[in-house]
Amino acid sequence: MNKQELLACFHEAATSPRKLMDKYLAEGRKVVLTAPVYTPEEIIHAMGMVPMGVWGADIQINEAKKYFPAFICTIMQSIVELGVKGAYDGASAIVIPSLCDSLKVIGQNWKYAVKGIPFIAMTYPQNRKPAFGHAFTKAGYEYVIKGLEDATGLKFEDEKLAESIEVYNAHNAAMRALVPALAAHAEITSAQRSDIFKSAFFMRKEEHTALVNELLAILDAEAADEGKIRIMTTGILADAPGLLEILDDNGMRIVCDDVAAESRQYRTDAPAEGESALDRLASKFCAMDNCSLLYDVEKKRVDKIVEDAKAAKAQGVLVLMTKFCDPEEFDYPLIKRACDKAQIPCVLIEIDRQMVNYEQARTAIETFKDLL
Amino acid sequence: MYTFGIDIGSTTSKCVVMEDGQNIVGSSLLVGGIGTKSPELAVSQALEAAGVTWDDLSATAATGYGRNRYENADYNVSELSCHGLGAHHIFPTVRTIIDIGGQDAKVISLDEKGRMNNFLMNDKCAAGTGRFLDVMANILVVPVDEFAAYCEKSDNPAQISSTCTVFAESEVISQLANGVNMEDLIAGICSSVAVRVGNLAKRINIVPDVCMSGGVAQNAGVRNALSQSIGHPILFSPKAQLFGAIGAALYAYQKQVKK
Amino acid sequence: MAEEVKKKRPPLDPNSAKARLGKIAAEAYSSAQAAKERGEMVGWCSSNFPVEIPETLGLAVVYPENQAAGIAARGAGERMCNISEADGYSNDICAYARISLAYAKVKSAPEQDMPQPDFLLCCNNICNCMIKWYENLAKELNIPMIMIDIPFNPDYEVSDAQVAYVRDQFRAAIAQLEEITGKKWSEEKYNEVREISGRTSRAWLKATACAHYEPSPFNGFDLLNHMAVMVTARGKLEAAEAMEKLYEEYEENHAKGVSTFRTEEKYRIMFEGIACWPWLRVTSTGLKSRGINMVTTIYADAFGFIYDDFDDMCRAYCKVPNAINLEYARDKRVALCKNNKVEGLLVHTNRSCKLWSGFMYEMSRQIGEECDIPVASFDGDQADPRNFSEAQYDTRVQGLMEIMEARK
Repeated sequence: MNKQELLACFHEAATSPRKLMDKYLAEGRKVVLTAPVYTPEEIIHAMGMVPMGVWGADIQINEAKKYFPAFICTIMQSIVELGVKGAYDGASAIVIPSLCDSLKVIGQNWKYAVKGIPFIAMTYPQNRKPAFGHAFTKAGYEYVIKGLEDATGLKFEDEKLAESIEVYNAHNAAMRALVPALAAHAEITSAQRSDIFKSAFFMRKEEHTALVNELLAILDAEAADEGKIRIMTTGILADAPGLLEILDDNGMRIVCDDVAAESRQYRTDAPAEGESALDRLASKFCAMDNCSLLYDVEKKRVDKIVEDAKAAKAQGVLVLMTKFCDPEEFDYPLIKRACDKAQIPCVLIEIDRQMVNYEQARTAIETFKDLL
Repeated sequence: MYTFGIDIGSTTSKCVVMEDGQNIVGSSLLVGGIGTKSPELAVSQALEAAGVTWDDLSATAATGYGRNRYENADYNVSELSCHGLGAHHIFPTVRTIIDIGGQDAKVISLDEKGRMNNFLMNDKCAAGTGRFLDVMANILVVPVDEFAAYCEKSDNPAQISSTCTVFAESEVISQLANGVNMEDLIAGICSSVAVRVGNLAKRINIVPDVCMSGGVAQNAGVRNALSQSIGHPILFSPKAQLFGAIGAALYAYQKQVKK
Repeated sequence: MAEEVKKKRPPLDPNSAKARLGKIAAEAYSSAQAAKERGEMVGWCSSNFPVEIPETLGLAVVYPENQAAGIAARGAGERMCNISEADGYSNDICAYARISLAYAKVKSAPEQDMPQPDFLLCCNNICNCMIKWYENLAKELNIPMIMIDIPFNPDYEVSDAQVAYVRDQFRAAIAQLEEITGKKWSEEKYNEVREISGRTSRAWLKATACAHYEPSPFNGFDLLNHMAVMVTARGKLEAAEAMEKLYEEYEENHAKGVSTFRTEEKYRIMFEGIACWPWLRVTSTGLKSRGINMVTTIYADAFGFIYDDFDDMCRAYCKVPNAINLEYARDKRVALCKNNKVEGLLVHTNRSCKLWSGFMYEMSRQIGEECDIPVASFDGDQADPRNFSEAQYDTRVQGLMEIMEARK
């Protein structure tokens, strides 16, 4: 495929997950939903199923209001809304981690709101560096395995997991290579960049890796296009077309990101060594850092944002704050201060899953552009 | 026996004189609620309409947000119970009442005997109230009572989805700036109120028949959108705005009879 | 957790449980201040951190949640919130955290001062927000943070894996604290603390269970004040004695036919959620003026820390209200409603607490059905006065009362 065909392919997958899900189901594959922010997708893959990320959608929230007060983030609310409305029908289970308070409550509500899709909790440790953190992560994975086996009748095998880890590590490597490659090619819009990341949650990883590598080869062969204003994004999500369009309209491009649904997913590989494949997968989680949802007493994430922005020569940092996301809200004052100190302009834009109008964001981004 | 009910809301005052807990013999409705002269004026107008004096009344009850500050009534009862009683009086088959008032929205559920057995009210930050419509009417310079006519002419209601009033206001303003036509915008505003209140109603088990009470009930735009949102037809009475006062007069009557 | 400020308070018998409990709560601050002045290290501690650890080690600790409640109850919630909001903290963040981060910055609040910390003791069994709040304190104040992670349990029972994870963390925290403070852990002292804590807890459970009498011998708002001692001092002998006294007094009240609910008890309700501290008087009067006694809350159950050994203690800390699944949380409340003949449930939809409010709609529906009682909710906040409307509260309480009246 040529570049445009590849980009169209990512766009199609990013915008029509249901179509893909129907295709997997028609092929006789089982689909398991995976909620934000981290889930052991490799386990699902190893059991021969397709993990599909559910990060909600930009929709009006009606049915979920029966379960959530207004101050729970709309990512969670829209996941339940889609569940109630049948958008996920046919899925064998949903895996929801308990990494923030809103994720804890969505699991509890899910049991009553979407009775047809079993809820499997993934309980991660926050004290993940000591040996007991590793042991508890592994116990959490075993719990998920049991839940998946009960829900689907399929069996887990450690050797299969070793193979899946290779698939996922290869995908991580491709996604990590993608960021600087896109940074060097200003002709690829923010919306197209988002499509590549978003489609990764819906496509089978083998296929996604192949397409990303194909794109990387094309980009590598082309001359770099260093036009446009270089910015870094940080936040949970950055996939709203209305928002990305404003970046594109203002001649901005994302040269690196600290977005949970984008680069944060791909920073850490499962190590080559370990007692078993499951231990290697546990080691992967324990090694993860630099995320608002993972305990970080030194606030290394804040320093990393500044370092990454400098390394990628970003002219400014765009903080895309998901409304009511307290893990991110607590980090913001420190991020702002660190950016100020490093003399990197930083602007906060509040977003949620129910925005149909981005005029306020447009004004903020236009003003931000004048600052750069 | 005459009993009397007064409903002092945030933006209006309503009074009803009833005979033997059956017939409404006089009523009044004035703009101006708590902290204005309207409650007093409404009392005298209703009495005059009924052709009775204050001394002829056997019992009186006050309801609405101003009930606690109105000292002349024998009883003080919440607007929840009053809307329940009033609606049941007008529509004996009603089991669910949706009231959209100036400051808040309520969903009241009645048992088969007409007794309130559950209620819900809006989140503090939700925009599904009459006040929101008033604010929008001011921005658009279109009186609220003309909203229904605009809704009828709308083909493609605008989407207004913000969870809080302040955001919704800025959304409406920017849609206006983007050239969305007035019909679609007003239909969008009405439907946004309806959807919010409809979502509230979903937290309770909606049992038909359903009726609306309160000032916003007059607004056919909101009423039709609400009916669509909850999937039930909505009964409407031109007396909808008086349900609270009727309920208060009935409450006073029931108390008096028990004595 | 904080005393409501009243204009006229009759002189209190210094031997009464109320006076003794009040003194213990106040001493939690003054003794920490004294320790600080002696040059000892002082910790800031989250409310459901295993108090046995600092108590056994003989460490002076104070409780930011308790302080924030006190500051809010005395009218300074908004002032303190404004300080942290000016630093960029969103007004959607828990108001306790906003007040505490403000206090760590300005280091003074006449409404409730406390010594600055040398270390932090954090436990997230009540919420993950706690981790973020303490991370920021640790960073801003540049002091060590000891974090015990007690995950939200999706199951009814606590798994062995979770007990092992929590036990290992307790042991690690003890070692870390020994190193930071130079104090030494003693099994003997721990057993003593454990026994006293169990004694205090048993007395608390017995005292709160007195609500099953009709009328209840106490006003449920008492519990909100007395629980400060359960949070901060249940490992202390004087706390055990004062709680036993409280139980005796409640039994005496019942025998004499009196109550600290000083009006006729017409209705009995359960209150769900953290108190609305900035509006404590308003919320209390709205009930009392209608003869509604809040006879029970989940706090009555929450501080029953009775256990036999170290593992059992770990298990107890995994079962605090916000760490358990909907079904377990529901069943605890259903039991309280049934045991105490509750006629209605009043739910505080607390803007500051996403975890507590996030599945409350579904849970309160289930409780209402199971107990056949009406449920009403109101919007409020544990410490930010701007998130509450008096008129809204009043109407909802009255509505709840009218349903209870109609069902009599």
